[in-house]
Amino acid sequence: MNTVRTLSVHKRPWSVVRTDHIATLVAIAYLAAALGVWLGLWADNWAEITGTMWADPSAAHWLGTNRLGQDILVRAVASTATAFEVGLAVALSSSIIGGLLGAVAGHFNGSPVDELILWLKGTIDAIPFYLLVVAIAFALQGHAMAMHLAMILAFWTTTARVVRAETIRIGQSGFIEAARAGGSTASRIIFRHLLPNLVHVLLVQATLVFVAAIKAEVVLSFLGIGVQDSISWGLMLAEAGQDIMAGQYMNFLVASLCLFGLVMAASLLADRLQDRLDPRTRHQRSVDIG
Amino acid sequence: MTPRIELLRFITRKLAAALPLIFGVTLISFTLTVHFGPDPAYAMLGKNPTAADVAALQRELGQDQPFWQRYASYLHRLATLDLGHTESSGEKVRDLLGRTLPVSIRLLAPGFVLGTGLALLLAMFAAWHRGGRLDRLITGISVIGMSLSFVIIIIALQAVFGVWLGWFPVRGWEVHGPASYLAHVTIPTLAFVLASIGYNTRFFRAMLVNAMSTDHVRTARAYGASPTHIMRYHVLRGCLLPITTRIVYSVPALAISGSLLLESHFSIPGIGRVTYQAILSGDQPVLMAVVGLSAVAFALTVTVADLLCRLADPRIRLA
Repeated sequence: MNTVRTLSVHKRPWSVVRTDHIATLVAIAYLAAALGVWLGLWADNWAEITGTMWADPSAAHWLGTNRLGQDILVRAVASTATAFEVGLAVALSSSIIGGLLGAVAGHFNGSPVDELILWLKGTIDAIPFYLLVVAIAFALQGHAMAMHLAMILAFWTTTARVVRAETIRIGQSGFIEAARAGGSTASRIIFRHLLPNLVHVLLVQATLVFVAAIKAEVVLSFLGIGVQDSISWGLMLAEAGQDIMAGQYMNFLVASLCLFGLVMAASLLADRLQDRLDPRTRHQRSVDIG
Repeated sequence: MTPRIELLRFITRKLAAALPLIFGVTLISFTLTVHFGPDPAYAMLGKNPTAADVAALQRELGQDQPFWQRYASYLHRLATLDLGHTESSGEKVRDLLGRTLPVSIRLLAPGFVLGTGLALLLAMFAAWHRGGRLDRLITGISVIGMSLSFVIIIIALQAVFGVWLGWFPVRGWEVHGPASYLAHVTIPTLAFVLASIGYNTRFFRAMLVNAMSTDHVRTARAYGASPTHIMRYHVLRGCLLPITTRIVYSVPALAISGSLLLESHFSIPGIGRVTYQAILSGDQPVLMAVVGLSAVAFALTVTVADLLCRLADPRIRLA
C-alpha cells in the first residue's frame, strides 16, 4: 500500500498520522469539541430552551431547534463530550482488567488460575450483552453508572482473550524463561517483561472497545437505559424517532452524522493501528455490537 | 482408540464442559435479577409495613434462606419453567413468553437468514476479486455499514419507507395472512440485512481470502475449475467451521439487540418489547425468566455448535 508498511512493527503509533490524515483530523476535531465542553467553553446550555419549536436553521440556531426549542447544534456538541466520557472510561477500564487477567491467564497457562479466568470469560461471553446490561441496570436500580459498569464487565473479555494468546506466544521466546531462571517472581515477570511487550495489543483493543462502547451507548440511551441526566446522540436519536413522524429530520440528520463521523474515524484509526502495530491479528475484530 | 469411542469421548467431554458454563450464566443471572433485585416483600405489602410483617412475608417467600439454597430453588424454577406471574398483568410468565416468542422469530428470521446469506455472497465476490475494484467497493460499503448504528438504520428506514413513501406500516403487528406478514416484516428485514452486511462481510472476506491462498485452491484454479466449483468444494468447505461459529455467535448480538430495538420502537408485541417494558417497570419475574433462559439457551447452542463442528470435521480434537 505504501512505504510505511515495510518499516518495522516497532514504528511508533504516531506514524498513523501520516497515513490517515483525514481520520486523524476528524478525530482531533471531535476531541477538541469534547475538550471545549469539559472546560465549559461552549455547549453548557444544552438543556436550555432558547428558541421556538422546530425552528429552521438561522444565525441564532445554525442547525435549528428540536421539539422543545432547544438548539440542536449545541446538543450535538455537548453529546461529543458524553461519547468520549463513555468511550474512554470503558476502553481504559476494560483494557486494565482484560490486560491483567489476560496476562495472568497466559502466564499461568493450563493452571487452575487460567481455567478460572477462562471460565469467567466464557460465562460472560455466553450472556447476551444487552441482557447483561439490563440485568445490571436492574440490580443497581437505575444507578447512573450501571451502563458503564455493564460495558466494562462485558468488554474486558475480548481484550483478555487477545492478551492471553499473545502472552502465551511471548512466553515461548527465551527472555521470559531467562527471567524465570534468574529468579524473577511471577508479578515481576508480568509487569516488567510481559505487559511492556503487550502495549501494542492493548492499544489496538482499547481503540476497538472505544468504538464498541460509543455504539452501545447510543443503543442503550435510545432504549432509555443508558445515559441519564445528560445528553447524548442516543438520546437525540430517541427524540428524532418521534420527530420524523412529524416530518422533522434535523435532529436525526445531525445526531446520525455526528455519531457516524466519530465511529468511522475511530474505526479507520483502529484499522491503521492494527496494521501498523499488530499485523498478525489483522482485521479480526470481534467487539461489535449493534 | 477406535474412531467411534473417540467421538463418544468428545461428546461426553463437551457436554461435561457445558455444565460449568451453565453454572456460571445461571449464577450471574440469579445474582443480578433475583439476589440484588428489589425485595418483592415491600411491593406486596403496600404502604407502611411493620418490620414483623416484612419478616413474615420474606419467610413465606423464602427470602430469608441462605444464598445457595435460593440459587438452588431458582435453578429448579428455571428447569421446570415454573416462572411465576408478571407483576404488570398477572399473566403467567410462561404463557407470556410462549405468546411473544413466535412473533419475534417470525419478525427476525427472514432478516437474519437473508442478511447472513447476502454478507457471505458479497464476501465471496470480494475475496474472488481480491484487490480489485469490486473488492474495494464491497469492503468500503461494509466499513460504512459497520459505522452505522442499528438505531440510525431503523430510523432512516422508518423515514424513507414509512413516512416519505408510505409503502409499509411502521408500527404494530397486525398479521392476518401472507400479505400483511410481508408488509410488516419488510422494514425489519431490510434493517437486519443492512446491519448484517456491515457486521459480517469483512469477517467472512478475511476468512475466504485466507482459504483462497492455500495451495489446493491455487492448483484447482490452475487446472481450470470454474469459480463456483472452487468456491463450493475447495474454499467454503475449508472455512465452514469459522463461518458457522461466527453465525452462531452472532445470533445473540444481532437477534437480541434487533428484537429489543425493533420491537420497542415499532410497538411489535414480541419478546423484545416484553423485555423492554419489564426493564422500564422493573418487572422482576419477566426479567429473571428472559435473562436466565436466554443465557442457558445460548450456552447450550454453543455446545451443540461445537459438537456439530466435530461431526463435520473429524480432525478437531479435544483442546
